[in-house]
Amino acid sequence: MASRTTELDLIAQAVRFHIIDMVHEAQSGHVSPGLGAADIVTALYFETMRIDPNDPDMADRDRFVLSKGHSCPVLYAALALRGYFPVEELKTLRRLGSRLQGHPVKGTVPGIEATSGSLGMGACQAVGMALEGRMLGKDYDVWALLGDGELDEGVIWETSASAAKYKLGNLVFIVDRNGLQTDGPCESVMPMEPIDKKFEAFNWKVMKMDGHDMLDILTTLQAARDYRSGPVCVIAKTIKGKGVHFMENTTEWHAKAPNDEQYARAVAELRAGRT
Amino acid sequence: MSLTKATFATRRAFGERVLERGADDADFVLFESDLGKSSLSNMFGDAYPARYFNMGIAELNTMAAAAGMAAGGRTVFVAGYSVFMTMRALEAVRSFICYPKLNVKLYASHGGLTAAIDGVTHQGSEDIAFMTTLPNMKVLVPADSVSARAACDLALATPGPIFVRLMRDPLYECYEAGETFEIGGSKIVRAGRDITIASYGDIVFQALQAADTLAAKGIEAEVLDLYSVKPVDAAGVLQSVRRTGSLLVAENHQKRNGLGYDLAALLLKEQPVPFDHLGLDDRFAESGNYLAMIDKYGFSAAKIVSAAEQLVMKAWHRC
Repeated sequence: MASRTTELDLIAQAVRFHIIDMVHEAQSGHVSPGLGAADIVTALYFETMRIDPNDPDMADRDRFVLSKGHSCPVLYAALALRGYFPVEELKTLRRLGSRLQGHPVKGTVPGIEATSGSLGMGACQAVGMALEGRMLGKDYDVWALLGDGELDEGVIWETSASAAKYKLGNLVFIVDRNGLQTDGPCESVMPMEPIDKKFEAFNWKVMKMDGHDMLDILTTLQAARDYRSGPVCVIAKTIKGKGVHFMENTTEWHAKAPNDEQYARAVAELRAGRT
Repeated sequence: MSLTKATFATRRAFGERVLERGADDADFVLFESDLGKSSLSNMFGDAYPARYFNMGIAELNTMAAAAGMAAGGRTVFVAGYSVFMTMRALEAVRSFICYPKLNVKLYASHGGLTAAIDGVTHQGSEDIAFMTTLPNMKVLVPADSVSARAACDLALATPGPIFVRLMRDPLYECYEAGETFEIGGSKIVRAGRDITIASYGDIVFQALQAADTLAAKGIEAEVLDLYSVKPVDAAGVLQSVRRTGSLLVAENHQKRNGLGYDLAALLLKEQPVPFDHLGLDDRFAESGNYLAMIDKYGFSAAKIVSAAEQLVMKAWHRC
């Protein structure tokens, strides 16, 4: 397990490198939300989820929905590194004619399960997908990554109620709890604590993990998968911008592209393996 | 073409057809938001509980969850009141159903002023404007029970999103059983040479009544049922107005961005002829009796008659 987590940590660093690279190339896009989610997304795509890049539409595949769609560079990077499409294509992010749209679009590159980017809506679609699995008696799981700021959307609570009503044991929400949203700290923009008690009150099973500790991530996601009595919400403590120290824990890099000098510094830092 | 008594609300005819189709097509499902008794989609829920999802009073979530279900390739009906489906859930319809061209069929009851008595909050008087504006969305508005049943079959047979606008109140029958309909089609429900009156849904019957009155005054009106509001049968409209020389559009909807605006643009480009348009004139309606209401706001048979007379005079003077 130790060597596997080291391997996954290295892949997560590669994912981070591509996030910086593609947003620098496009001079547009969201950097720090993806950096913070890189470990979780890597764990899902390289270990936890039942998927096959050679058969991306396999009927019983697990589904991943990036509800916080603005952090899509992390998804594009993970999909490319996992073999869903050529890594070179990452550099076309946000270009006219590119398959890598500014927010994820189902039907563009293989592996994208849902169009997302309007906050809250990905979570609702994930519930629809889980309902379908339940209805058809299939055993695939649906994983949705939500931003903590995204919890401001009322529709999150509508969909949480519906997932509990149908006891969707095949559904896991992972809340990327980095504590920051566009305008500042979540707790000053819109206080949402206690998040765990809110989900529990909606009859969800709540788990917590350190979103940068690969072993903790793998163990918690497995526990979430094993819990079949209803939907699970995993609250993942993360650091926005994780891996590039000048981007960490600040809202400044939420939606900003690095210039050449900043790009060089970020890449050097990632190469040095700072985690 | 027969005009018998008002029997069936199109919402009921559509709901019954969904139920019938559910027996032989186990592949589609139905989502709704606690209005099953009004949209009559509860009949489907009673018959096929495993394929019926009542998401509670949460229209946006209902629509987006339906999109998630349809992402797997499944056909999903979403039932509800037109006003809530087209506004509260508009973003999910646009970005998560129309954009990826999912097989979601919007089963929208209480369109236009047929929710008259409930007042403005329950009236779908801008629904056509919202839905026709969305790329990839098709819009059908049946005028009676025969075309409502056909609309259900068309919705199931046609890939991609479709909005079917249905009426709360019983409507008069315009068609005989067995009449066929198609996406992008229209029907000449009464032939005439002096003016074309185009409409859809409940106002088709008003136009037919108006045509009777006009005939007694020596004006032979051609009545078109543009049940496929989008795509609209532009060729059929042009063919008719080239014969009659004028077009009057009457609709149970805001005039602004309604079918009349589409057809005015079409005429201006292809065949400028005298034109008039009846509908809600940039105003909200109120609570009241449905028939009294459509008269007050200007698109009843009587109002169609007077507008048609003036338009025909204008066309004749122009010659």
